[in-house]
Amino acid sequence: MGLSMLPDELLLSLSDQWPCRDGQLKQLAALLSPTLPSPSTLVVYGPRASGKSGIVKSYLKNSALDHAIVRCRECVTGRHLLEKIIGEVFDALHSQHVNGDTESHPGRCENLSSLSVHLQRLLEKRDKFVLVLDGVDKQREAPPTLLPALARLGEVIPQLTLILIVRNPPPRFLHQPGVPHLQFPPYGRTQSIHIVSRKPPDIFLEAPPDDMDYDDETHEEDKAWLWPRFCAAVWDALAQNAARDLAAFQDACHKLWRPFVAPVIKGDFGTRDFSRLVVAQRRLFQDENVLLDSIISTPNGAATLSKSKTHELPYYAKWLLVAAYLASFNPTKLDALYFMKSTEKKRRKKGGGVSRSGGRPSQVRKIPRHLLAASAFTLDRLLAIMHAILPDDIRTTIDIYKQIATLSSLRLLVRAGGIGSSDPLEPGGKWRVGPMVTWEHVQSIARNIDFNLTDYVAD
Amino acid sequence: MEYEKCYVFKPEDSRPVKRRKVEPQGLQSSWNLRKEAYQEAWKAQQDRIDERLRTINATTINGILDFLEEAASNATEIRIPTGLILAGPNSALRTSIAAQISSHSDTTRRRSYIQISSSSGSNLKSLLKTIIQKATSRAVEDDEDELDDQPASRKGGPKLLNYDLELLHLHVQERRIEQVVIAIEDPEACDGELLSELIELFSYWQDRIPFVLFFNIATSVEFLQQRLSKTAIKHLDGRVFDAAVSSDEVEQVFDALTTSDTSLWIGSNLSTMILDRQSDYIQGIESLVQAARYAYMSHFYANAVSISLSPSLALKDVTAQYLEALRNLPSFRTFARQLLDNGDPGRLRDLLDRDDKAFEFAQNSVREGKEALAEILEATEVVRSLQITIPNTTASSKSRMYVQAMSGKLAGSPMLRTLLLTLRKAPSDTAINVANALLERKTPRDLIDELSPIVREIEALIKDQDDKAQPLRSEEDVKNSTLRTTVIAQKVELSKQKSALSKQDAAYTTIIRRLSDVLETYFAEKLVNPKDLTLHEIFLYDLKSPFREVFTPRPRHAVERALAAPHDYLDCDCCGPDHGDGDDATLASTQPSTAVLYQLYLESGNMINASDLWQAFQAVVGDSQDEQQVMAQFQRGLAEMRYLGFVKNTRKRVDHVAKVAWRGL
Repeated sequence: MGLSMLPDELLLSLSDQWPCRDGQLKQLAALLSPTLPSPSTLVVYGPRASGKSGIVKSYLKNSALDHAIVRCRECVTGRHLLEKIIGEVFDALHSQHVNGDTESHPGRCENLSSLSVHLQRLLEKRDKFVLVLDGVDKQREAPPTLLPALARLGEVIPQLTLILIVRNPPPRFLHQPGVPHLQFPPYGRTQSIHIVSRKPPDIFLEAPPDDMDYDDETHEEDKAWLWPRFCAAVWDALAQNAARDLAAFQDACHKLWRPFVAPVIKGDFGTRDFSRLVVAQRRLFQDENVLLDSIISTPNGAATLSKSKTHELPYYAKWLLVAAYLASFNPTKLDALYFMKSTEKKRRKKGGGVSRSGGRPSQVRKIPRHLLAASAFTLDRLLAIMHAILPDDIRTTIDIYKQIATLSSLRLLVRAGGIGSSDPLEPGGKWRVGPMVTWEHVQSIARNIDFNLTDYVAD
Repeated sequence: MEYEKCYVFKPEDSRPVKRRKVEPQGLQSSWNLRKEAYQEAWKAQQDRIDERLRTINATTINGILDFLEEAASNATEIRIPTGLILAGPNSALRTSIAAQISSHSDTTRRRSYIQISSSSGSNLKSLLKTIIQKATSRAVEDDEDELDDQPASRKGGPKLLNYDLELLHLHVQERRIEQVVIAIEDPEACDGELLSELIELFSYWQDRIPFVLFFNIATSVEFLQQRLSKTAIKHLDGRVFDAAVSSDEVEQVFDALTTSDTSLWIGSNLSTMILDRQSDYIQGIESLVQAARYAYMSHFYANAVSISLSPSLALKDVTAQYLEALRNLPSFRTFARQLLDNGDPGRLRDLLDRDDKAFEFAQNSVREGKEALAEILEATEVVRSLQITIPNTTASSKSRMYVQAMSGKLAGSPMLRTLLLTLRKAPSDTAINVANALLERKTPRDLIDELSPIVREIEALIKDQDDKAQPLRSEEDVKNSTLRTTVIAQKVELSKQKSALSKQDAAYTTIIRRLSDVLETYFAEKLVNPKDLTLHEIFLYDLKSPFREVFTPRPRHAVERALAAPHDYLDCDCCGPDHGDGDDATLASTQPSTAVLYQLYLESGNMINASDLWQAFQAVVGDSQDEQQVMAQFQRGLAEMRYLGFVKNTRKRVDHVAKVAWRGL
């Protein structure tokens, strides 16, 4: 076995670098041995953050096989991928053999057949070459024949071994039987905790004062003791349900670590008071905000976004937005009731005189309107409602239309679907309020302009 | 002719020369002078505005530059450093910030700035193309001569695809660029998916190309976050920067427009209009600048007497017509009437007969008028400083104060009266604050000269005061009087009783009265109505209408009005007001067919039956004409209505058209 495969010490160092992946490493070593023949195509699959790309990459690097790795996610089109494959293969072959025999670059590669021709020519004199396509199932704008054609490249080019790294392969996605698949299962609880706890972060960011008699050695010991326990607690509380993959788990652990050890730094607890610390800090493990991502990273670990400051819209833009909300959420047939000045006094009473105490609840369950999707309205209805609710008359100038344009560029007003919705000049074109315009949002705007919104909303 | 495919027109001789008046005559001859005067006046103004705008965002810009520096010094390779600039829905501010950032590029870091907007590309490929093209075509520094500008490509290989970020990578390597800053101008208008894909792609290249992203946020960060994919959010490491608030900006620019050495002053009506429009509709600062500029242009270009504003005007430059125009100005007439009333006909005779006197008079009045306006402005500043120092008063904004002063209503305004009354009641510590604040301003000279002895006296009084804990009180302070009720013969009598004032308090009362009197006379003297100044027509511009017509047109109203009252536009004899009853909604067969249809349209309901409409139309236009011709008119009119967006086809009923536009919206 030692002859055909990698030396044992190499494998050992790899398995040290990638813990809990011994089986996969051995399989790789068997399938991609430098001396023995390899299958023409190999599918490596497994969920996110299970070490597929990393292990394949470091294995190939250590095994001294000629190889090229193409990251498909960086390729914008299928054509781009093909060009990239050729480029990478060319670079891989020529970086190792810098001696004089410079072949010229094969040139353009427009389609799959020219790819196979180019590869044949490039690999003519080699005896073994490994081409890794990382994440080929997520390729943008891939031609439908890409995967089956790639899988058959080995038939044309016997020197080539193709490794396809995918997340979850559908059955028969290569249209070819007998392609070896190598599974990378997700890490389990013990494995995850083991991996994450290999590098414990510091408890104390700055060295404690000298009089506490606390040197670096004890610090190392303490954090190596505390961190795995903490990781296990995070896994049990949050990660096993919501952050199962290693990256998310690690992320959550690191986010929670600093608030978790804050009492230790303050001196309320000792470094080994784990159970008391967990009880004291149980709020951290109950708060699920840590699992949400946010653009603005807040230092205390929780990703709560404070009500961030926003700049105000111009005065009439606010009225327009309120009018648009009313137009979207009030039924058209009630417009005369709500917006005609003469009927202001005689609003219809709620309930229509039916006694509420007795009788069964109505069979038709009514969903509050503001929870439903916004309905479309014409621009004239919007303007009419705005004129009706404005406290004073305005001169309709081009500025109002400009406000409409501004609101629509901010996606607060959007064009509703239908025929001719792409043409803004279409007579009677329909609009609706954007998804950001919620009841709360509009209510705060209405309060700002001193308008009693509830009087005008049909319930 | 048969052998020619087309007829070639060969004119016999050259075109006749048009008899145009090339040389402007009369008042128009000062056109070039006025143009120069305008350019000079506006340039000074523009420089001031630019100066102001540069300082407005200075703190934000510095914050952003620090952020860039920090991102460059500790690059993480995991998350893209992202600046979220909260600029509001003000597109001008966004671009100005971006421009200022790129102009601030220091020499220590090599950065490449790329600005993209939603219009840069509708899909990932075209967006990348734009980015790469913008990045590679712009030279980072000009003094790099050894780096020739050859297109970056792989050695020996063919050219890369133009959307391959490898190109950008090579460019970054070649030029040793340390940061690629990509500013997205309107992330709200971009497609959320596209933006997420772009961010993901950037993050994959982050280990090779040091990206920094900037988003100009008009609504809120949450909105952006909702629209991005989870993976994209994971790759962003954001920091929020707050840009200057718009209203503050308006104040600053307006202040720059109304400094004391401006040559043309904008009157109260126009400035109210401009400022109202600014707060009601727009948040861009450039529209304010444009409005001011337009005011300058309309004044200089349309008003011949405006050459007097040119500082280097001599008598030989002006024409007789100019002087005649000058003598016909309303304010000149008032002045002449005053001269006559004062019994100085000789001077008036001189002004009317002698050109040099009239010219000199004009120059002097313009200078004096400008000085008076500068003094008004100064007086408003004094009012503001009073407002700031006297407790329990709110300081009005500079622009509002200016508008009030320019309308000539500030002098007797209730606000000013209350202010002075409050001052009279103020205790000594407030009074000394107020006086010192005014002294610190150092201007105006004459007011200061009057104030300083008063201040000295107050200070002396305070020094001699027995009870240092309590400030000296004024007699008029209500707290010093008590209300006493006495019941005499079942009647309640109220009597005010002044509490006993110490001698010092009494002395203080006289001083504070003097102080307020000094201020009152100062205000009454300085806060004159600008419209009363002689020859104010030259240096004061206060016309609403050109601004209103040019900046706030009413396209919809214009169309509706033209259709409802075609006679106003056509001025034809057939359907004049004497023909009908005089109101605009009369139907007449002589009107254009579209106008007739429009009036029928206004009377109809939501759905209009085409056949009914035809019959009504026929009834109006009359049976006398040929039916085919009337039909043609009808069809054409209906087609025009549809083109204008008043009606559209409806699928509900085939023989109907739907009403789309209502009048008066």
